[in-house]
Parts: sequence; C-alpha cells; structure tokens
Amino acid sequence: MSTKKQKVIQKKLPREVYSALKNVAGEQWIYEQRSVVETYSKLSIEGGSFVKKHEKDPHVLPACVVLPASTNEVQAIVKICNRYHVPFVPFTNGQVFCNPTTQDPTLIIHFSRMNKIIRIDTQNMCATLEPYVDYGMLQAEAMKRGLWNGGTPLATTLCKLASQFAFAGLWQTDLKYGLFSRNIVSVKMVLPDGEILTTGSRCIPKAGDFFEYGPGPDLMGLQRAGVGTNGIVTEITVKLHSWVGDESIPDISAGRPSLVDVHDPKYDNPDKPLKNHKLFWCEFDDFETQIKAMREIAHSGIAIGLNATGVYSAFYCSQTQAMTIKRCEEKFFPEWNCYVILANVTSDKQIEYEEGVLRQIIDEVGGRFLSESYKPEVLEALKPWNYDCIRHSTGYRMNRKFYANAWLPVGPIDSAVTTQREWKKALDTFGELDITDRGGAEDTPFIYALQRGHFCLFETDNYPDPTLPDEIKKAQGFGIYGAAAVVKNSLGPMLMAFLNVEPFTTMFPEAGPDSHLFMRKIRKVFDPNSVAAPGRQVFTEQEWQQFPEAVKNIVNKMREMNDMPAVE
Amino acid sequence: MTILTDLKNILGEEKVFNDDENIEKYSSDQSFVQPRKPDLIAFAENVKDVQEVVKYANKTNTPVVPFSSGLNFHGGTIPKEGGIVLDLSRMKSIQVDDNNWHCVIEPGVTVSQLQDELEKHNLRAMLSFGVHPDRSALTSYAERDPAVAAASFEYGNELIMDTELVLPGGDLYRTGLWSAGGIPGSPMGPVRAMIYRMWTGAQGTLGIFTKMNIKVEYLPKKRKVFLLQFDSFPEAMEPLRMIQRKEIGHECFLINNFNAASLLCKKWKVPEQFPAEKAEAGEFDALREKLPPWLLVLCSNGGPRMPEGKIKYEEEALQEIFSMAHLRTCDDGPIEDMFLKEMLRPWGILKKFCYSGSVHDISFKTTLKRVPEFQKIVMEVINEHNYPLRDIGMYILPIERGRAVHCEIDFHCNPRSKDEVEQVKNLWHVVSERFIDEGAFFDRPYGIWADMVFARAGTYTQKLKELKRELDPNNILNPGHLCF
Repeated sequence: MSTKKQKVIQKKLPREVYSALKNVAGEQWIYEQRSVVETYSKLSIEGGSFVKKHEKDPHVLPACVVLPASTNEVQAIVKICNRYHVPFVPFTNGQVFCNPTTQDPTLIIHFSRMNKIIRIDTQNMCATLEPYVDYGMLQAEAMKRGLWNGGTPLATTLCKLASQFAFAGLWQTDLKYGLFSRNIVSVKMVLPDGEILTTGSRCIPKAGDFFEYGPGPDLMGLQRAGVGTNGIVTEITVKLHSWVGDESIPDISAGRPSLVDVHDPKYDNPDKPLKNHKLFWCEFDDFETQIKAMREIAHSGIAIGLNATGVYSAFYCSQTQAMTIKRCEEKFFPEWNCYVILANVTSDKQIEYEEGVLRQIIDEVGGRFLSESYKPEVLEALKPWNYDCIRHSTGYRMNRKFYANAWLPVGPIDSAVTTQREWKKALDTFGELDITDRGGAEDTPFIYALQRGHFCLFETDNYPDPTLPDEIKKAQGFGIYGAAAVVKNSLGPMLMAFLNVEPFTTMFPEAGPDSHLFMRKIRKVFDPNSVAAPGRQVFTEQEWQQFPEAVKNIVNKMREMNDMPAVE
Repeated sequence: MTILTDLKNILGEEKVFNDDENIEKYSSDQSFVQPRKPDLIAFAENVKDVQEVVKYANKTNTPVVPFSSGLNFHGGTIPKEGGIVLDLSRMKSIQVDDNNWHCVIEPGVTVSQLQDELEKHNLRAMLSFGVHPDRSALTSYAERDPAVAAASFEYGNELIMDTELVLPGGDLYRTGLWSAGGIPGSPMGPVRAMIYRMWTGAQGTLGIFTKMNIKVEYLPKKRKVFLLQFDSFPEAMEPLRMIQRKEIGHECFLINNFNAASLLCKKWKVPEQFPAEKAEAGEFDALREKLPPWLLVLCSNGGPRMPEGKIKYEEEALQEIFSMAHLRTCDDGPIEDMFLKEMLRPWGILKKFCYSGSVHDISFKTTLKRVPEFQKIVMEVINEHNYPLRDIGMYILPIERGRAVHCEIDFHCNPRSKDEVEQVKNLWHVVSERFIDEGAFFDRPYGIWADMVFARAGTYTQKLKELKRELDPNNILNPGHLCF
C-alpha cells in the first residue's frame, strides 16, 4: 500500500466542452462538483478501482457527469465527445467498470433518467426498455401479464438489462432460458461515432421489433459484451416467456446491504417456492457423482434451472458474516450438491412428471434429497433460495467481504473438475484471503448448467477486505493467474466467459488466435476517434506500447507459471 | 504463370479444374440469379488448403466463392465476379461428442450423413424443413436455416457452438471455447460473448467456415404427432398462439394443402438435381383436393426418461385447448406416420419440385398477426399476374413460441417454358418488393432481395460495409453478394 500522502486533483473538461454538454442536457443534469464525481469513482466491484482509490491515483475521478434523458441527447453528447476528442464512459449502476480508462479528463454518461419501460408486447412476447430499467421493474410489469424475462441475476434491483448487454447476464434459470445472450431481440445503440444503430428486424422500416438476427451478418452478436467500448444501448428489446408463478414477488425496499453486523431474519426464509414452482436440493458423496447427476438431469429435458452451489449458500443464506464463517468452518452445507428448479409451464402435471424423472436419476447415481427427514436443519437454512432461485427478492445480500476477482470459465460439465483443480492450485500458490476463498476448492464451484447442459459455467471467487489494498492486489493476482490457467487448460478463451478486458485481450494471443488484432479492426470501425472507454477491451498498438511494463511483467510471470511463453 | 497453374502448384493437380463441364456446373442454380462462370474450381481438403487459396487470392485480387453443396436455391454461390469457386465438399469429417451432445462437422458433411451418424449414437441434429439431404449441414447452420423445431425456444434455436473459420486475409480464427486452441464446448468468446454470430447469414463474405461444433439432441424414443385442420390461416392463429404459450411440443408448423399433398404424394421423389424434371401430377392433384386447406402439425417428443409421461401431460394440455377452441383434428395414421418421419429427415417437402420443375420461394420473418396482411398482398399480385392461387405452396413456422414466424411462399414454374419462367420471375419480383415495402423482414437477403433490404437498413448497412472494408480490404470473399 502506498504511504505517500497526496491530494487528488480532479481534472476538468475544457470550458467549451462543458458548455456544449450543458446546452444538450440542461444545467441541472451536468455535474463536475467534487462531491458528485467522487460517487462515480468507487462504486465498482472491480478491485483495480479500489486499489487506485486507496493509492490516491488522481485518474480515478471523472471530470464530469452528465445525465441525458433520451437517445437524441445521448447522440448529441457522443458527437461532442468526438468533436473534442473527450473520452466517455457509459454508466448505469457502476457495479463493474465505471472509472476513467485513460488519463485524460473523462466524461461519465449516467442513464438514471432513462428509466422507462417503453412497451410490453404481450402478443409477441417481448419488452422494450430504456437503459436504467432493472430486472425488478421489468418483472413487476411482465408478471402481471403472465410473462417474464426468463431469469434474474443476483442483484435484481441493481442490474439493468441494458448494461448486461454490455457485460454479463447469468441467471439461475439458464438451463431452460439460456444466458441473457439468448434473450435479446434487438438493441438501439448510439455508436461511439455518434451514429445510431438498430439491429434485427427493427432496422427495417415497418418490419417491427420481433426478430434478432441480421439482416445478413449479425451485428447484434458482434456488439454484445463490448463493455461500453462499442456504443451505448439506449433501448433494448428483450424476450419474454410464459410465466406461471405468482403475479408478483415480494420485494424488500432497497434490498439489504452487505454489512458485517446486520442480522434481520424477518427478510428471509419463505416457506415454499412460488406458485407452480418447486425446488429440490440434492446431496452427493463426491464431486464425480455430483457431475454425473447434473449431466443426467440436464440431458433428461426436465427443469428450468440446474445449478450447484458451494460457498455461495454459506454467505447467501447466513444472516451475518460471522455465521457465514462458522458455517464454512463446520461445512454446514453439502459440499457436493445441486439444486433443481421445476415449473408447471405446460401443465399442472408437469412437476409431478419431472419430479419422477429427477427421483429416478438421483436414485440411480446414489444421491440424496434434503428433506424433512434428512438434514432438515440444512434445508431450513437454504430457505432463502425458495424465492431467490427465481428472483433475488432480498436484493444484493451477500454476507461476505468485498467481491474482487472471479473466475468464470465455461465449457462441458467435466471442466468443473479442471476448474476445481486449478482453483485449488491457485490457493496453494498464493494463499487464501478468507475462508470463503476455499469455495470451489474444497467443495463444488458454483456450476450453472446452461442451455440444457450443452455447456456450463463455473464460478470461483476471492473475497478480500476492501479496506486492505494489499488483499485486493492479492485477489487481482488470482485473477491474472486465472487468465493464464483458463487459457492453458481449455477452460475458455478468457477468464470471464462473457467478455474480455485489457491487458488480457492483448496478453493472451492464444485466444482466436490473435483476437487482439481482430478486435483492433473492429474497434477502428466502430470507434474511429477512440473516445468510448478507450483501451478497456482492446488496446491499439500505441496504447499497448504505452502500457506499463510492470503490469506486463506480472502477467508474463503468471503466464510463465502456466508454462506459457512471455508476450512482448 | 496463370491462376490455374499457380493453384495446381499450391493444391496439387487433382484439386483444380477449369474444364467446361465443371465451369458450367458451378455457374448457376435454379434461382433467378444471373448465371456467371467462375475462372476455375479448386477443391480444399483441409483448412490449410483453404488458407492457401485465400492468401493467394489476396495476392492476386482474385475473388473466392466458398461452395459446399450448392443446394442453396437462391444464388448464394454464383460467382458474380468470376474467380475461384472453392469447393469444400471433400471436407467430410464428423466427430460426435456423446457425453456433451455436441458434434463437430466440416462443410462437406451433408445433413443426411449427419443424421445417419448421430442416430448411431441415439442423437439427432435439429434440421430445417425442406433442407435437401445433400445440403451441407454446416452451411445450413451458418445460413440460419430455421430448424423444424424452431417453435421450441430451447431445442430449435441457437444451434451453433464453436466455429473454426478462415478470415478474409487467410488467417485461421476460432470462436467459442475452441478459440484458445483446446477442446470445443461453448459458443462464448473470444473477447465478446456472441461474436460468432457475425459470420452467420454472411454467405461466405466475411470468412469461410471450415469446422463447426453444433448442438445435438437426444433421439426421442417415443413421439406423437397431432394434426389440426383449418379452412383458412386466420382460423389457425389463435389455437397456434394458445399451443405455443403453453409450450406444448417441439416441432410445430402449418402447411397448406399444396405442400401437404407434395409431401404425401408417393409417386414423387425428392429430386437430386435442380431444376428438377416435371412429373405426372394425378396423385398429387387428388390429394390436394382431398386435404384441408391448412394443416397444423405438432409433434410431442417424449423425454429420454419416462417418455410416455411427458407425452401424456402434453397431450392433456393440448386436449384442453382442443375443446376450448372447438378444433378439428385430422386423425389419419399414415399421414401422422409420414410427419413423424419428416421431423427427423425433413426433406420430403422437396418433392414439390416435381410439380413444375422449379420452385421460387419468398422466405421472410414477420409476426403471427401480420401473416394475413402478406397473404393479401400475394392475392393481389397473383390476380394481376394470372397465377393460380391453388399453385402456391405455403409453410408457416413459429419461432420461439410464436415471438416471430418464418414464412415461405412458393411459386412454381416449368424451367423449360420461357413464358412461364418470365411470368413467375415478374410475379416473384413484385411480391418480394411489395413484401419488403410493407415490412416483411428478410433476415437472409439473397439475390435481388439484398439491394431491397440493405437500401432500407441505414446505419446497419453502413457498418457492414465498413467492417467488410476493414476485414477484407481486397474484397475477395464472395464479392457482389449482400451489400458488398
């Protein structure tokens, strides 16, 4: 940790730029006051931002924040950025990347005013949303109409669907509904050069907004997961599916913060899942049996969700961090498990049939159901999942420390074993930050079975103390090591299956191969003036040359540890 | 040195041809797209061959047209600017992953070969209705031919996993898990989650697929087909919506009596060459008269375990809809059996080519509610062009539980009759234009549709052109197609 005391000086935009932006958004929607821009410097769960903050890196502060109200305003703002070569960063909730990406004065474009559900098309089962609409808002409206979007990420009321177009979109019901990628009909984007792109059928006059591909080569596919470097989604149309559960799901206002000493069980433990849904917890003797069972279940065609959770149950179902740690120490939750979500979508008899299939499989592989007669206290403790397997109605509730570094590799279900092995190796090499880091090494990684089990996603994480920058840096080390381990062991082309960011794009030329060269061409087409979060996803040759040698050396060291040659 | 000599040096004597017979064969298809002769035909047997040819083409500014089976029917492989037709049909490897239900195929693998191989593993590929058994399976997926099970969100859509392709500059590129050089097994990455989709619907203009890992599904042990009859398409709309909202069945589609009669006609065979030979139509005519104007076909697939249980609850849910909507079923064992076969090997409908010899379809996407609008346009135009309504084939396929529908409207003509060809060509052109004007969405704009579609697509078209310039600066990959 740096001990040097220095004052962080906020950079300002040139006055003519500020003035031009003010004319577009209106004086009340543009801010450069220190108290405001500070807010946009630290919300991220990206460890690097916290370290910079600890080290008083002056580049952590944006110069200015603007809040547009419409696509036209976003377009005007982006055009100003192009005219004056001002980098901008799109921002919704700041849960991942929000800081400036260059040392130049940077504009944050925050979408909190663009928060309307534009339309819900019940006939063609889709909904069009502005970028600040979250899963909770959409589901509240869609469920009244017997529809829903097919899944929910962990932070229902924080995650905006439009920002998930740029980033992740992983749900517990991915078995049936697939990742968010499978559930987008179209986007309307302001591209980095200020042009407006619409995709799918929507780009043809009079066609309507119902079909996702084309025309011809599919640009929506290219644009997904650009982490804000390839344009700003100002409208997104998402697919809706039949919903057979309750018309609404109880929500706790403002969720519940992840505080050390909060203990308020009244928010937990719904007795049973939602109407027309049933949740089963299965326990196995070992990892091999768990994987065998999960493969059989995925291939049997039953269920809307199939996942395994290790340490997540500990910090998700505990009311305090102390309880989380105690449960980890005692191995309270089954180390080898899976949970299965059934739903009566087609018929009242569907769950009955699917339960029969599930019981047959568990019997065959030699697993056990948690029940009132077998480990009832564990089943009781897992009650928060009764609602939250569909939607995390309790909000962003994780009784753990900071979340920095996640390995999110992808592949056939057998790759869970490789993930576990490599995570354990990393823990042995670097040492754990917290007992919760053992999740995925001593028990199952979080496994999401995706798209009927054709592939799976595996998650293991580090939980450093956010007040200790050295811990965060150590977690970052896990991340860099992980990037190398993932590529080396066929766990994916990248650490996070959804996307890549620098320096990993350039420093892992094995992916593609040479994806960085390909992506540079794409960047040139979409962002000719390098204004959209420049350097975040792929460096230009010049940016790469200017990238700090010290960081290159760290990445190369991790490559070396995985028997991979250094990248110059 | 000539291109012929150069390519023989690069690939070997036995892989390059420029004899008249071959040149003629690759210069046209049964579509209305203007025939054009290639300079020569080169056969690739592996990815290295493909890379070598593409690199050579860049050096000499020679167009390269990737070709796998030529059974596209829409002029997709006609070499508009001459050059090299790169025939990939000798690349025939199939590798089935029984554990994870994937299959890696090369471009020369036909859909029937794929299905035959998968059946040995108790698996099946999800294929498109009307796909030719000799069509390249890889091309069918790359060109987004909609699977006959497209109604099922989970089983009939997004069937591509990993891909291997040669970029316009000749570099090898992989997408999905495969892109790190190891095993295939996920569609995500590199760098962006769905990047492979950029090369779909691209007609080989942005890269040449050399391998593809596709999802495959279990081969159902038990299946049951349900048939509903309707006097008009609008009558079928609400029942179809109800069935799809309940998520009953995998395969579901509607066909009119022309197409149903083609399928059922025992005297007709699926042609091997196109245009086909016109065949005797007595049996077909009798069937067409007898069959209801529209049939809704629904197939319930029993799961791999307890298959009867799944069919039973789906059937009960269906019966509720039948009684609620007073629907007329069409209980006919032989017809049901025929459809069961078609779900797995869905090429019987190609017998329709026997009616006149050639078929010119207009295929597009719209919403269920709008289908009658487009039917009305067809009625208006055929009246103007004196084309008989009874000679139109129609196929309507709900996609993802009815969010969208894929429509195919066929016009038939005898390719040996210049007058007939001219009449249908004009009609087809006018209908296409009227459809696009009214918002029919041609997500795969082949031939003349390309100009009509891309002229309306604004920034989308502009960005495609910029991408093409950046990735293929010499414009060597299938030039003249799409908006390039």
